[in-house]
Amino acid sequence: MLPKFASVTARTKDEALSWLSSLENPKIIAGGTDLMVKMRAGKHYSHIIDVAGIPELLGVTEKDGRMSIGPAMTHARLSTEASIVRNARSLALACGLVGSPQIRNMGTIGGNLGNASPAADSIPPLLIHDAVLTLESRDARRKVPLEEAIVAPYVTSIDVKELIDSIEISPLRGYREGYRRVAKRATWAISRLGVAFAIREENGRFLDARLAIGSCTPMPFRAKKVEDLLKGAPKNEATISEAIRMALEEIKLISGIRPSYAYKLPVLQGILEEVLRG
Amino acid sequence: MFIGQDITRVDALDKVLGKAAFAHDLTKNNMLFACVVRSSRPHAVLKRIDVSAARALEGVVKIISHEDIPGENLFGAIKKDQPFLAAGRVRYKGEAILIVVAATEETARRASELVRIEYEDLENISDPFLSIQSPVLIHDGGNLLSHRKVIKGDAAKAFESSDVIVENTYSTTWIDHAYMETEAGLGYLDDRGRMVVASSTQNIHYKMKEISRLLAIPPEEVRVIQATTGGGFGGKLDVTVEGYLALAVWHTKRPVFMRYTREESLLAQTKRHPLYIVYKTGARKDGSLTAVEVNIVGDTGPYNSYGETVCLRAAVHATGPYEVPNVLVNSRMFYTNNPVAGAMRGFGVPQLALAHESQLDEIAGLIGMDPLDIRMKNALKRGSLTATSQVLNHSAGLLETLKAIEPAWRERRKERPGSGFGLGCMYYGIGNTGISNPSSCYLTLTPEGRVEMHSGVCDIGQGSDTVLLQILCDALGMEEMGIDLVRGDTDTSYDAGSTSASRQTYISGMAVCDAAQKLKKYLKEQGYYDGKPLKDICRDAADKGVPIFEGYFDPPTTAPDPETSQGAPYATYAFATHMTEVDVDEVTGVCKAVKVHAAHDVGRAINVSNVKGQIYGGVAMGIGLALMEEFIPGKSESFDNYYLPTSMDMPEVEAMIVEDREPTGPFGAKGVGEPALIPQAAAVVNAIYDATGIRMRQLPCDIERLKLALEKDKENKR
Amino acid sequence: MKTIRFLLNGKEASIEVEDNETLLCALRERLGITSVKEGCGIGECGTCTVLVDDEPHYSCLTLASKANGRDIKTVEYLSSSGVLHPLQEAFIRSGAVQCGYCTPAMLLSAYSLLLRNANPDAHDIKEAISGNLCRCTGYIQIEEAIKNAAEICKCNGQD
Repeated sequence: MLPKFASVTARTKDEALSWLSSLENPKIIAGGTDLMVKMRAGKHYSHIIDVAGIPELLGVTEKDGRMSIGPAMTHARLSTEASIVRNARSLALACGLVGSPQIRNMGTIGGNLGNASPAADSIPPLLIHDAVLTLESRDARRKVPLEEAIVAPYVTSIDVKELIDSIEISPLRGYREGYRRVAKRATWAISRLGVAFAIREENGRFLDARLAIGSCTPMPFRAKKVEDLLKGAPKNEATISEAIRMALEEIKLISGIRPSYAYKLPVLQGILEEVLRG
Repeated sequence: MFIGQDITRVDALDKVLGKAAFAHDLTKNNMLFACVVRSSRPHAVLKRIDVSAARALEGVVKIISHEDIPGENLFGAIKKDQPFLAAGRVRYKGEAILIVVAATEETARRASELVRIEYEDLENISDPFLSIQSPVLIHDGGNLLSHRKVIKGDAAKAFESSDVIVENTYSTTWIDHAYMETEAGLGYLDDRGRMVVASSTQNIHYKMKEISRLLAIPPEEVRVIQATTGGGFGGKLDVTVEGYLALAVWHTKRPVFMRYTREESLLAQTKRHPLYIVYKTGARKDGSLTAVEVNIVGDTGPYNSYGETVCLRAAVHATGPYEVPNVLVNSRMFYTNNPVAGAMRGFGVPQLALAHESQLDEIAGLIGMDPLDIRMKNALKRGSLTATSQVLNHSAGLLETLKAIEPAWRERRKERPGSGFGLGCMYYGIGNTGISNPSSCYLTLTPEGRVEMHSGVCDIGQGSDTVLLQILCDALGMEEMGIDLVRGDTDTSYDAGSTSASRQTYISGMAVCDAAQKLKKYLKEQGYYDGKPLKDICRDAADKGVPIFEGYFDPPTTAPDPETSQGAPYATYAFATHMTEVDVDEVTGVCKAVKVHAAHDVGRAINVSNVKGQIYGGVAMGIGLALMEEFIPGKSESFDNYYLPTSMDMPEVEAMIVEDREPTGPFGAKGVGEPALIPQAAAVVNAIYDATGIRMRQLPCDIERLKLALEKDKENKR
Repeated sequence: MKTIRFLLNGKEASIEVEDNETLLCALRERLGITSVKEGCGIGECGTCTVLVDDEPHYSCLTLASKANGRDIKTVEYLSSSGVLHPLQEAFIRSGAVQCGYCTPAMLLSAYSLLLRNANPDAHDIKEAISGNLCRCTGYIQIEEAIKNAAEICKCNGQD
């Protein structure tokens, strides 16, 4: 049983923005896979604005070397969208691992970001692709890097009157890219750990290595210090073990020691070894 | 011939059409909705209950407390110790306190949230070891529910002369039945004012009797109907919605519907018993077992439910399916303030299988014997003495199941790093332990020329309706299914006992055979077998007053000796061997079951497809038990964090049916429902050892437990 | 309250629903389609699966208003021509039905798979039903049924 609310279905972005600005205590719904669960547990909003069918919020486009993803794109569509598979393989893989087929048919990438779960599968891949959100309200439009948009577990800096207009990412070509995740069940389970990686190497050196880790810290994070270390470094065991040491240090710095780390850190170490060794 | 054929299930068509009326789908005009107000505390005195706000809500019709119960408040299949509605004290989180009846389900739930309860907390006895010592008593008689012993020979002496001894501790946790359909039902008064309850259930006659006690009315004034039931696995044996519905109808005189939410089912319903098992095994160098000593401590929660049953069944099955000359088992079940643990597929035996199968592998490792060989050496066979000194006179096909597995076992190859193979064996007594547990049924003839089978057996999805029809057809020597099934209704059937303990094919099957013999004699006299059409016989019969042909069977057992449990607690046993191949990823701790060979001695497979369905489903539940399922009180609130295996978690399964016919069973059949699950977790754990060299003695062996064990092992080796 | 219009099993439907009503509730309680089951209410069991424009969705997590203008199918669609769909035949024949509570939803996930992929391999089949829990069968006979039905559909040229 859901709490009482009024719901409207927006046909255009402008319509959605105008409702967002005028209606009291509004909340956007797209796939509903997170929001409906929260509302069933008692979370209350006065107005629900359905944006799932707005054509402007769908599709993937490429412009000036950047790609723009419509936030209402479902996980299912992104996981098979040719340009995403080609240019952001980790994102396609991660979207293909979210929930179950039904959840992937319903849930959207915008919703996954808006929900800002520490375990959201789409976030680590977006981080390594330098994702920037374009947020729009009736009166303003602004760009925020994804890293800044998520401010705490399940909390974003997106205003209640704002809508995610698009998610811009940098395509990565010539990278060995992927997404590894661990969960307690073969599928349809919350990630206990998620690692997005994109690595470019040449002549035994790392040219560029991008790593983002989810389900480990309060917010998925990109291991920038590790990336800096790897840039230009020779690909050998010494580099790899130093990079891993640094990654684990960084995590402990962010979160302190958590009981779950007895499991997660050794696993992360093993995954990073495999990822960096290729 | 219908026996041994894959006869299409009689319920399948309605189910694929979406037409089957499950308890959740029942409805009636002018229907009210009920829901239960439950304790938020594990152990407390109820100081004050304020229902004024709830009562004031528009649409609320009635709020019922224990004071509104006309008859007995206490129920229980074994011992009447559990209140329908708490009377002054609650003993577990989720215990029922009030029933709210309202015009809509939403109103009933909203009102239930408006009830204010003041508690005075008592000590929360949160595990059985606390329970042993605590001065706080959960019941006046003390915190020990049951203590059963199995004593055979002289275990202490036998250990002295053993060449190897292995002793370890094993533990298991709560498991939820997680039937897809939560508890639900509809109650109403019929035209004659009798109480009718239709629900999702495993036992209609038992529930009829409980409702009669609850309302202090004769059982004839109560009718219980089994709606199509979305799974049971033991969890729908205890009274749940039936009692609440009966009370709500009693007070409102209107039809009342209720269903548990998934959260409520997880919170309030019974679970598999967590058992702590200290297990000592002795053997000679040649692999023959000399003695076992087992200490079992179980957590039954605050009420008996099936705690005594599990206590005894775990004890008598503690050795596993092996000849062990000297046995000493102490099995003790304690009350706690944890969830009520009750009946669940296997009644404690899957937990014991984890222990005895791990022990056997360890012995084999110490003496350098192959795990299959040590099982063959000790296997119970015809003529063997069980731990209770019962002579196995008839069907005992464990060796045949081992032989069925043997080629796959001998040819096994570790193709990848992390791959491992494990064996698990089991035996399981069919029917209830050492007590009378009869089934009865009757047959009649219809004016249309058909035989009518009146069955009180609850088919909860396992397919008993179809199997009993197959048995009847063959027992009558019919060439086509000229039988109408009248089922699942106390008004039109005799008591067949519960659908539990893998007993329906064997016991109710024999009751059907008994009735069939009587009908067959009659049909013979009437010339059916000489070619007289059934229609004519039925018409003649109708003129003379339709005869009834009654069937009855109670498996021959003896009550276990109170001190030693020696005796013949079951009329027959099922046997099985599973072999499981796993892949362990040492980086992540993920263990994937890849392939299972499951050989089962079922006596005779009445319906091969159904038997395989039980085996596959049992393997799935065993995979869950071994690798992921863990109900954590207070944390496991929904399927969001209580994981059941999905299709992607399932191994390939090769089901192998062994038929060592049981002369006391219908056409040689025994049972398979619980056996299918019992050895699987043990086989997984043994395979993990084979893959990693690590013995996992605590279930579930989920990714975190396994990874931590791998890490610890690495440290130890350093 | 609002009016929603949609295709329900190939026929136009129009109903009044509450703003906060789920599609599951609308189908079961307003339209009497009880083949759509509730097992958990939060998209973690799959028994409420329906097809929305031929894709499996959890109706418990779908606002009823989202059905407006869409093509909604429940298991009744499969036999709407008056004969059993090969999937239904195969489920019966292969022993894919035990308690049956997950069956209608399982059939819809399978049907959607066969629409997308006429030649599913074992992995495709496992994945297609991986969002539908079954506690009875261990999935194996369900997977066999889907495989068998796919063969028959191919022969019949049927969707």
